[in-house]
Amino acid sequence: MAELLRVENLKKYFKNPAGMLHAVDGVSFTINEGDTLGVVGESGCGKSTLGRLVIKLIEPTSGQIIFKGEDITHVTNKQKKELRKKMQIIFQDPFSSLNPRMCVFDLIADPLKTYHMLGRKERQKKVFELMDMVGLARRFAYSYPHELDGGRRQRIGIARALSLGPEFIVCDEPVSALDVSIQAQILNVLQDLQQEKHLTYIFVTHDLSVVKHISTDVLVMYAGVMVEKAKTKEMFAMPLHPYTKALLSAIPVPDIDYKRQRVKLKGEITSPIEPKDECRFVNRCLYATEACRKKAPGYEEVLPDHFVACHRVREINNLQAEELSAPEVSG
Amino acid sequence: MSLLEIKGLHVQYTTRRSVIRAVNGIDLKIDAGKTVGLVGETGAGKTTTALSIMRLISTPPGKIAAGEILFEGKDLLKATDHDMRLLRSSEISMIFQDPMTALNPIMRIGQQIAEVIYEHGGCSKKEAMERSKEMLEMVGIPAARGSEYPHQFSGGMKQRVIIAMALACNPKLLIADEPTTALDVTIQAQVLEMMSDLKTKFDTSMLLITHDLGIVAEICDEVVIMYAGEIVENGTLEHIFRNARHPYTKGLFASLPSLTKDVDRLTPIPGLMPDPANLPSGCKFHTRCPHATEECANIQPGLMSVEPGHNVRCLRVEKGEL
Repeated sequence: MAELLRVENLKKYFKNPAGMLHAVDGVSFTINEGDTLGVVGESGCGKSTLGRLVIKLIEPTSGQIIFKGEDITHVTNKQKKELRKKMQIIFQDPFSSLNPRMCVFDLIADPLKTYHMLGRKERQKKVFELMDMVGLARRFAYSYPHELDGGRRQRIGIARALSLGPEFIVCDEPVSALDVSIQAQILNVLQDLQQEKHLTYIFVTHDLSVVKHISTDVLVMYAGVMVEKAKTKEMFAMPLHPYTKALLSAIPVPDIDYKRQRVKLKGEITSPIEPKDECRFVNRCLYATEACRKKAPGYEEVLPDHFVACHRVREINNLQAEELSAPEVSG
Repeated sequence: MSLLEIKGLHVQYTTRRSVIRAVNGIDLKIDAGKTVGLVGETGAGKTTTALSIMRLISTPPGKIAAGEILFEGKDLLKATDHDMRLLRSSEISMIFQDPMTALNPIMRIGQQIAEVIYEHGGCSKKEAMERSKEMLEMVGIPAARGSEYPHQFSGGMKQRVIIAMALACNPKLLIADEPTTALDVTIQAQVLEMMSDLKTKFDTSMLLITHDLGIVAEICDEVVIMYAGEIVENGTLEHIFRNARHPYTKGLFASLPSLTKDVDRLTPIPGLMPDPANLPSGCKFHTRCPHATEECANIQPGLMSVEPGHNVRCLRVEKGEL
């Protein structure tokens, strides 16, 4: 499949009274057309910042973003406006991302107006089509956001993102604020739309079971750096980085027959302000040695299409240095 | 005798326009040393139930319209305000959902814990301070950090401070309202483990309010599923996770993306939670239920036992059709 987006060594630093905050520190990945890349990590790991960088809502400190073969790292505002037709975002909080003084119809028609697309009649038709597409009953067209529940509001957000016919959408925790039964409805809408319109997603979330359900690839972030990236199936069957292992084992599973060894983590996430040249996970890692404190680990392809940033990845997973085929997956 | 027994609890909130029936006739029992999980979606009445036990429903607009809440045989709804004040935190204490707002921002952490102990413990302020240090160590925070303020703590640490405060007077019953919802998974795992350790150590009973069935599977003994202010199903962990009978409970399980199985498409519960100011007639779930018949819209089902200790509120289960 054709490559849609490539990100190379992307960095975003924010100025902070205490020093430079390395929110995203050297992230590289590619996404193919029609795939979904799940970006997971705990609060403050830089996953939302990454989503915003990629669709040019904020300017990167350094690095490269290549979208459909074109370098879009530095573009003029005019070019940016054109880009937004192709790349869109769905925000986490359907309560604060919609203008409370606009009704549903106007909210969805807004992007079409901004881009002077379609005449008045056609626009109206298009808005109703979009509402059908996301499963929003037409009788809500003249309701205001405060009259609707979270699930319906999130559907407005999705309809807005779809209105310009994008190819690529960043979904920033789109279901985190919703109840499970509504969450399932929204996830189904997103999956259906992806198939119908051949969309490509970056799905940012802290919920690993959602990621497993919806993504084709997963990228795990920790304190601004990426620690592991692999195909979803492989990541969940055979996590290689100590952090990913702990993260996966920490999720409460709603199944009383499911037994597993929990990897306990001590302490809390390391501050990404002026980090030292060491592995950022070193203070919580069970396998940390002196070497891990001397230098930040590089990012390498340990198994085919399975990238890990850890000095000791081969040792702790019993992998031979030259081993190229995946070993037997246990448990 | 159960430690806590709730009988026929009704709670309503009166607004200018309408009466919101948040809790409609709940019966619930918690035995000593047991952990009961109260599960439901937003607006199911979980928090209202918890606040009723603590007698913290603000009146007006809220009102406990009917029912009894028996704690060690004594009706809390008849207790005086003074008695309730003594009972809170020494016998029953509560952990609130949001650790960010539950602490006093301008008081040192150690003092906040000591205050609870001093108020209830009948000890000197100095002893209370000593004990507060012990409590901090117990939840894994160095005692020296007791002289810091809440803003200097991370979310997970604040929640641990709140747990320390809740357990400071060795209560018999701990009510935890979504204690880990605001936390990251690895921190959540730490907090949950600490809570179950402390619970075993002090033999505390617990009412755990959550929407996360994963957490329930991990630490609860019994499960109560609430929908629109009613209990729709209750039973032991085994009953609910192996043999769920109510269509709503089944729907909840089907909505969850699974980590252990491969599911291509989720099966969500259609529709939305009903408006508590305007509840449907008959079975409250019939508007969203795939098995609803005409009867379900008219007849209000009762909670019926399907096996010892396992109750379901559904007409069609009652008739043996499901």
